Amino acid sequence: FLAGFGNLMQDVLWCFSQVKGTIDIGVTEADIISTVEFNHTGELLATGDKGGRVVIFQREQESKNQPHRRGEYNVYSTFQSHEPEFDYLKSLEIEEKINKIRWLPQQNAAYFLLSTNDKTVKLWKVSERDKRPEGYNLKDEDGRLRDPSMITMLRVPVLRPMDLMVEATPRRVFANAHTYHINSISVNSDYETYMSADDLRINLWNFEITNQSFNIVDIKPANMEELTEVITAAEFHPHHCNTFVYSSSKGTIRLCDMRTSALCDRHAKCEYSPCQRDGRDRVPFGLKKPKKGSAETDLGSGLPCHLAPSSLGLCWAVVLPAAGHSHGHLPSVLPVPERSSFLWVPALHPLGEHVKNPTVIVIMTGSYNNFFRMFDRNTKRDVTLEASRENSKPRAILKPRKVCVGGKRRKDEISVDSLDFSKKILHTAWHPSENIIAVAATNNLYIFQDKVN
Amino acid sequence: MLGKGGKRKFDEHEDGLEGKVVSPTDGPSKVSYTLQRQTIFNISLMKLYNHRPLTEPSLQKTVLINNMLRRIQEELKQEGSLRPVFMTASQPADPLSDNFREAQPAFSHLASQPLLPTDFVSTTPLESCLTPASLLEDDTFCTSPAVQHDGPTKPPPPALQPVKDSFSSALDEIEELCPAPTSAEAVAAETAADDAKDHPSESNVQKPEGLPESRTTESKLMDSLPGNFEITTSTGFLTDLTLDDILFADIDTSMYDFDPCTSATGAASKMAPVSADELLKTLAPYSSQPVTPNQPFKMDLTELDHIMEVLVGS
Repeated sequence: FLAGFGNLMQDVLWCFSQVKGTIDIGVTEADIISTVEFNHTGELLATGDKGGRVVIFQREQESKNQPHRRGEYNVYSTFQSHEPEFDYLKSLEIEEKINKIRWLPQQNAAYFLLSTNDKTVKLWKVSERDKRPEGYNLKDEDGRLRDPSMITMLRVPVLRPMDLMVEATPRRVFANAHTYHINSISVNSDYETYMSADDLRINLWNFEITNQSFNIVDIKPANMEELTEVITAAEFHPHHCNTFVYSSSKGTIRLCDMRTSALCDRHAKCEYSPCQRDGRDRVPFGLKKPKKGSAETDLGSGLPCHLAPSSLGLCWAVVLPAAGHSHGHLPSVLPVPERSSFLWVPALHPLGEHVKNPTVIVIMTGSYNNFFRMFDRNTKRDVTLEASRENSKPRAILKPRKVCVGGKRRKDEISVDSLDFSKKILHTAWHPSENIIAVAATNNLYIFQDKVN
Repeated sequence: MLGKGGKRKFDEHEDGLEGKVVSPTDGPSKVSYTLQRQTIFNISLMKLYNHRPLTEPSLQKTVLINNMLRRIQEELKQEGSLRPVFMTASQPADPLSDNFREAQPAFSHLASQPLLPTDFVSTTPLESCLTPASLLEDDTFCTSPAVQHDGPTKPPPPALQPVKDSFSSALDEIEELCPAPTSAEAVAAETAADDAKDHPSESNVQKPEGLPESRTTESKLMDSLPGNFEITTSTGFLTDLTLDDILFADIDTSMYDFDPCTSATGAASKMAPVSADELLKTLAPYSSQPVTPNQPFKMDLTELDHIMEVLVGS
């Protein structure tokens, strides 16, 4: 469940804005959205699907004529990023499903993004073409070569405007570096390197070099029988190019400094989620609520946020929605989220100092029955909303949903038993500076905005 | 809704008391807890082995499910339960079904290597053969194959009890033949049998799919993991069993050898002669005459031969 954040100073009323995707009942599996990502300005919104395609939406310029339509997202470009492959050695297919998309910061007119499936990372350049040269000497407008003997005069080709065409070209292919499935990629702040993480290893790449990568984390045990945890996410620090974090399926977060050694197996800082702390938990299925007042339970609503005031002197914290806690109302067995993600935010309580104007953090995470939840870290409140076609009237305000756990079901509540656990929201994204969120529900992409007064 | 990995479940008995751990020994909730645990266990195995992916299975998923299975195993050990978990107890598929030939050799393969998760990592082979009472209680595993075979809507609980008791009596008989296991084990066997009687079988509501294949799960535990994830064939959940050495040294088992032709993963599975206790289990649902508890399980030799013919397919 991807975490997003926003600068909410007070309660926000979320309204439906758009929905992309078909309503057909017979949805092909290839259309299932597998990742969602805004670019750094929020102008572009990229989605990847199980069929290996990337669809990029662009926000239209806000027009004065229609102030209520705050910049809708329209399709900007669609391209096939990955194709299914076959591993002949293991006789297994390699899925073309896009696991992650990461935008590079924009440095010229073109956009660059990294997209990855289980095994291969690709760097795509998305550029616009709105002019084309006309008047070649040696070839027709169709492209056919002209007979040189028929040319009687020379001319200089000129650029003429044409319909806007957005083309995506693969610029780099980073392959054959991962034995296991890549689950996350992260662009470094130096804009020269990035890292890709699979279940057991993290590799560091240089954008210019595709046939080499450095392994910086390796948690594969000598005896695979002893394997009990895998890497679930990895992220570079937004400013310090030597620092990154990675999380494991056991709920640990490790902060690493690449300057210390080539192989960052020894972490600088390691945090555990409260549920994981009790290794001798005799209740394998019990949801243990963290104790109030401890550092892990700032939220109070049960969502632990792990502060890692690093010993490196960085005043940054890592916020990670811990597994399982976002579903406090579900009395049944909970799956471990398939994905987690990191968010670097200014620390709220760095080393005991008083911080002025703490950044408000709201964490969004997906749930079942096409619900998604938002946790406000400061007010310690949470709200459950639903992404559904029924609530899809323009600018319709989303009504908070309530799930009743047992006993009498009040009106407007949904009982746990009637939740559709096959409808999961696994991918969400938050606009970097505005209250716009994108929520992927199976093959549909919902865009919600806060209410404009 | 199926979960995977280290599950955290909102305990319905917690009632808002923070930090309270519901111990499995709480009275009224114990049975339901055991039931839940067993269900989770079954589901975990199913998820692990019934899935036939064209693509490489997710390592994360496998690790999480394995963690869950280990956890259950640990918990069973801690509970000091004398009811070892015996996965493939009384698991006959329809002998005419395609799965059967596949299942049977895999099963026999397991006879020499005991099953997961035995909650006695100790090498007492006898206990690893006993049907776990929890399985008998829940009837989730044992009965579905019976359902498949007989077609009844309700699993036949009585059929299981005689199996259980037949074990202890069969083991008693065997003890006389061979160097006897320690008396403690025999006591454990008896206690386990008693426990089984104390908890009457419940009709299960849940019938996991593809159960006949679950018998192949044990072999796949050995075989598929190495194939995909470079896990060595050393057993994580299994300990070596020397039951055959003890019990059947003097029995001609040439009839029961199977070809190692069945593992769908293609990895070679070690075949071992079918041991008599497996036969007892597999045959229990077949037995047409209802056997009352506390009576020795007497098998008609001709019936046994007939069934073995069917098994071997000769």
